[in-house]
Amino acid sequence: MKIGFVGNPPYEVLENYRCEELIDLDNDLGQIEEKSDLYLPKISCSIIKRVFNNALALRPQKIIFDVGEGKCDSGRFLSWILRKHFGMEIVETRNQNRKARSTVICDSTLPLGKKFDLILNNISNLINEQLEREIHPKAGFWSVPCWDTRIFDLFPDGTRIFGWTRCLENGTPDDLELECYVEEGIPVVFYAQTFCSKNLLAKNLARVYRGLYVDCDGRLTSSVKAQIEAFLYLRGATK
Amino acid sequence: MTVFADFGSTWSKILDKSVKITRTKEISRDIIADIACGHNAKKRSRICVNELIALSEGGLRLISEKDFILVDVGSRDIKYVVYKDDRFLQTGWNQECGASQGFAIELLEMYYGFDCNDLKPPEDGSPVTCGLIGISKIFDEIIKTGDERKAVARFVKGIAMNVYYFTGKPRKIYLSGGLCGNRLFIESLPCETIPLGRLVLIEGLKSIYEKTEKKGEG
Repeated sequence: MKIGFVGNPPYEVLENYRCEELIDLDNDLGQIEEKSDLYLPKISCSIIKRVFNNALALRPQKIIFDVGEGKCDSGRFLSWILRKHFGMEIVETRNQNRKARSTVICDSTLPLGKKFDLILNNISNLINEQLEREIHPKAGFWSVPCWDTRIFDLFPDGTRIFGWTRCLENGTPDDLELECYVEEGIPVVFYAQTFCSKNLLAKNLARVYRGLYVDCDGRLTSSVKAQIEAFLYLRGATK
Repeated sequence: MTVFADFGSTWSKILDKSVKITRTKEISRDIIADIACGHNAKKRSRICVNELIALSEGGLRLISEKDFILVDVGSRDIKYVVYKDDRFLQTGWNQECGASQGFAIELLEMYYGFDCNDLKPPEDGSPVTCGLIGISKIFDEIIKTGDERKAVARFVKGIAMNVYYFTGKPRKIYLSGGLCGNRLFIESLPCETIPLGRLVLIEGLKSIYEKTEKKGEG
């Protein structure tokens, strides 16, 4: 049975479906027909559009949808729409876990793309990674999982992950304090999907920590790519 | 002879024996620069440099102050770098909302047959979000008032205010790009503005090339 999930539902809830095919609907699942333009406003963020497209295309038997503060209002509304207007079976959760798991992947020496892969896979399949900690990260990346994963290639290996992705690895998706935790002294790129309310945090944290704030609607644009490249180079994070 | 090139989307600046400023569409495909930035620079040069890095290096070469904001207003975008205490602090590049603003000014000057340098800056500008939407606003205003010069001047003021807000309302701006020759635009900016001309990125490329050569010698 195909079971979809959105956001970071509580571990105990997902445990009930371990023997089923668990699909993270936030992720890029390959060639999926895009119907979001017909039903969602243009100002919906790319991840919300992706969840909608994935849900309609795959029609999982059930969707575990985290609608707590760890997701967003758009997610909560989309959950309602999928249930009421598209007849999908939705199990709503509100993950308020405060029992910290760990942030070993975020803090490791691995390349950024590999870190995101491991963190996203960890939601449905918990792995205890033994990873070497990067003691002197050259750069930091504050973000949610990005729509366009090519962004990760711009960063040096061992780039430290902050923001909601850090909360995700830690299993505490609505922990705002952890979400806003940033280490000083390293150049940090603060990234949010266009139309996501996390832009408020990204812009202000970038101001306070003297980082680079960028937002991107789906595909990575050449100007966002050039800004990140220049910022990391001119701050000495890359050669 | 080393060839430096800043390939803009409308105008290209090339330095070999002398400086040439040419329409990009008229540049021979055979030109391969030693070091370049901009439109298709990867295909047209041996060393391709990120435009923001070229802008930064150009600023460091031309500006003696330790704190500065340098803005390049191109035909289709706005980009800037901020330095504080001689160290790079921040950058921004607006391709979407800055779209075609410089290009739109050029088109309007050609269409109406006047030079923006002959216009006086108006008190307030049109709310311009991008060049294309701005042009439709100008036509609306001309239909209402019949005053082409005033409508264009208000458009240019709107673009100047966009640049001012996009760069965080600075006290002083160092300006790079084709609009350095546009007095109306410079006078429309509500802060001290020092025009550095169209070759700031070329100056940056020179710096980067010199560093590359030194590394090679070492």
